[in-house]
Amino acid sequence: MSNYPSRSHKSLATPRLFFASIGLSLCFNLTMIALMLFNSINAAANPIQQDDIITTDVVNSFDELGHGTLLFKHATQYKKAAQLNIDVVMNITGMINRVSVTQSFSNTTDDWQEGIYVFPLPENAAVDHMRLMIGERIIEGQIKEKQEANKVYQQAKKQGKQAALTKQERPNIFTTSVANIAPHETVEVEIEYQQIIDYDNGAFSLRFPMVVGPRYIPGKQRIAGFSGTGWALNTNEVADAARITPPVLPPGSQRKNEVSLKINLNAGLTLENIHSTYHVIEVDKQAGHYEIQLKQETTLANRDFELIWQPHASDIPKAALFTEEMNGDTYALIMMVPPTVKKTETLSKEIIYVIDTSGSMGGQSIVQARTALELALTRLKPGDRFNVIQFNSFTSKLFNHAESVNSATLEQALNYVRSLEAGGGTEMATALHAALANQSNDNSLRQIIFMTDGSIGNEQALFEIIQKELGHSRLFTVGIGSAPNSHFMRRAANFGRGTHTHIGKLDEVQKRMQNLFEKIENPILKDITIDWGQMNSTAKNIAPNIEAWPQKISDLYRGEPLLITAKAKQLPNAINISGDVANDNWSSKLTLNGGQTRQGISTLWARNKIAALMEQKRDNEFESIKQLIIDTALEHHLVSKFTSLVAVDVTPVRPLDKTLDSHAIPTHLPAGWDHKKVFGQPFPATATDARLNFIIGMLLMLLTSLLVLCLHGRMTAGMQEIERRRKPKPRYLGSPIAPTVGVRNINPNPSS
Amino acid sequence: MIRTFKKVLIIFLPLCGLWFIGQGSYIHAKAVVAQLLLETAWTETLGGNKEVKPWPWSDTWPVARLSAPALGISRIVLAGASGSSLAFGPGHLFGSTPPGENGNIIISGHRDTHFSFLENIKKGDHLELQSNKKTSAYQVTDIQIIDKTKVEAIPVDSENKLILITCYPFDAIQSGGPLRYMITAKFKHSFILS
Repeated sequence: MSNYPSRSHKSLATPRLFFASIGLSLCFNLTMIALMLFNSINAAANPIQQDDIITTDVVNSFDELGHGTLLFKHATQYKKAAQLNIDVVMNITGMINRVSVTQSFSNTTDDWQEGIYVFPLPENAAVDHMRLMIGERIIEGQIKEKQEANKVYQQAKKQGKQAALTKQERPNIFTTSVANIAPHETVEVEIEYQQIIDYDNGAFSLRFPMVVGPRYIPGKQRIAGFSGTGWALNTNEVADAARITPPVLPPGSQRKNEVSLKINLNAGLTLENIHSTYHVIEVDKQAGHYEIQLKQETTLANRDFELIWQPHASDIPKAALFTEEMNGDTYALIMMVPPTVKKTETLSKEIIYVIDTSGSMGGQSIVQARTALELALTRLKPGDRFNVIQFNSFTSKLFNHAESVNSATLEQALNYVRSLEAGGGTEMATALHAALANQSNDNSLRQIIFMTDGSIGNEQALFEIIQKELGHSRLFTVGIGSAPNSHFMRRAANFGRGTHTHIGKLDEVQKRMQNLFEKIENPILKDITIDWGQMNSTAKNIAPNIEAWPQKISDLYRGEPLLITAKAKQLPNAINISGDVANDNWSSKLTLNGGQTRQGISTLWARNKIAALMEQKRDNEFESIKQLIIDTALEHHLVSKFTSLVAVDVTPVRPLDKTLDSHAIPTHLPAGWDHKKVFGQPFPATATDARLNFIIGMLLMLLTSLLVLCLHGRMTAGMQEIERRRKPKPRYLGSPIAPTVGVRNINPNPSS
Repeated sequence: MIRTFKKVLIIFLPLCGLWFIGQGSYIHAKAVVAQLLLETAWTETLGGNKEVKPWPWSDTWPVARLSAPALGISRIVLAGASGSSLAFGPGHLFGSTPPGENGNIIISGHRDTHFSFLENIKKGDHLELQSNKKTSAYQVTDIQIIDKTKVEAIPVDSENKLILITCYPFDAIQSGGPLRYMITAKFKHSFILS
């Protein structure tokens, strides 16, 4: 206290200025803070009119929505796009389906148009023909390397010639572009493909997808604006996002893409029944074949079509052989059903259930997935271990680690599953990592049941995760909803050494899941090798003059047939197929004569070869494998990732002074999907912290002022004290106050 | 001891205060200066260049000019509504209809900088949106306050309109509140740039 006065000597020199400045800043601070606070309080005190607030019942956190959710770039642009109609004709003979898809583009505007249509085909479709049909004229498409085909098309487009280009974006996503459609003209593009019919558990089936469900595009958006015709921007993870995300019609739109469907089914067997899972059909039995069509002539292109036909029990085929002679080679498609093995004792196992709860699962899909998952949980047995993982923009787990099955954990899981809601992005990679992590080293049975619609654009990256991290797990995919990404389901299960199934509506959950459980719970046939009989069986699948695809045969689950395509100078009389089932060797001899001759077996063989090569391509040998794919595709006239079909009319029709409008054909949202859940744009954050910063700053200044003032007060007191000491002290001797002081000093307990 | 502490406080507190005030001012300064820089980039865009970056390290570019003629307000709108672009100007939401085209054009901005003027917009007011193709006039038809925890997504339709979004209340101290102020303006007519 003693040296205080000397320290503040300076301020003492200008006390007025000092006080004035402090006072001023105090006033300013106080006013500012009061103003800000008043405004805020005012805002809070004026309650918002309830009718102004839009509310819906669905509560979902916006912050969870990933950046992959974008919307309606072409909100009203689509009105100008060409009208699209699709006619599908299928010819099924035995296990082979030859399909013609005619896409007709009608330009209803007064301008010249280019129509771009992104559409799905079955993931095993071998597209080998495309023709452009303008009135009576038919121009056959030529197979070319992708870039060259594109160049030819672009040039024709510029020259005003009518042209069509069909290219592959994914094994199950294709794009048709048609240039120079005259005002009020209709141009047709016919695409033909061949596919092998699915055969499982004694029933044949085919799926014909009609719409590419909007795909979630993970990754950082590239700053390049929109390229291509899609609603998504290309990202670092999905470089072609704009090409696989056709614009989607907004809810309530009057526009319709309609599909007509005619099937000529020649099963070659007596059939027990034929039925379509999602569409009402009419079946007309003719001599030796069935004619099938949609009951209502057309249907909206908004969900997969599925046809299933079942032979009589006595007629269920156990093996089949189809051959084709071409250019001195014999091509063969060989099918064989391994015998079912009696169920062995069940081992305890670990099952990880993964469920997609992203926005695309909103609507009916999430209900199907929840039901399927509940059913799966009830199959668990005491001694098993399990966990449930859900993912959207984020991944979360029911338990930290897999838990043993008991009534408490099961109850907990069921409650968890029942409360699952859909919303947000589809960050599938983190979910896969989570499902494949924490594998024990004891090689015990570990199964992952993965329920999703596969609406993602980064398939390849996900397949790589599965390949790398699979360990001893097996991954089973359950494709949910009306337009699942079947390519993802099949391939992911393939890489995951599991199998796949589809659920497209609630009342098939029971049956499909039952079928899946039977596959999962029964012994599988693994390590399958084929001895082509021409080599000493040194465990090689392929004899020198036989080229069979796929080379590595996947494990077969109960009811699944072995399907293999081969090319040979001459087929051997018999082959020997062997494998391992329930730790026993199994082998079977199959004689290869008396097969039926079918056109297009070579195409199927080439398609299988390309699919296998696409999986093999690695960075170091990318170029050589790419060349092999191109050679195979060009030889067999096949559309692939690296080859496209292009058709160009000779004479230019568009006067070059007329401009060409380019429009993507808008597609329907898959049936049962919720538009808002997929395309809903979250509200952005639209406030800064400037005001908060100001207030904190002002408060601190105010505090300083107060502090200074307070200290100064004490300082002033000190000054006065000094001054008082300097001046002679006033004396109050004998004043009447003195006794009072004395009274105050009287204390009954002085020591306290 | 206590006295040293007080001394430190006397120096430290106002420094902190100044820092916070500086932060606040910086946000406003950035908002103002960026708009000036953006003017040049926008002029270049109108000259036919695409995606003109206003400064070399920018991750956004001007896509439109939004003006409220009655209020004498003009703002350069940037591509994208991420936090980093909203610091410099109102942002056009990727995925919504691009300015100059038909559909729901959605622009959002900070309620305390570029979009503070929205508070003064009334039903019936005119707004103009200049893109590199044309200038379109819009008339405000609706002003709503939306609780984003209750509404799933920005409500959109297939009409031809401009939607402006900012945070609400305008005078809230903290950012990150759930309310949004949404102005909807119907397309009236457009005129080609002169």
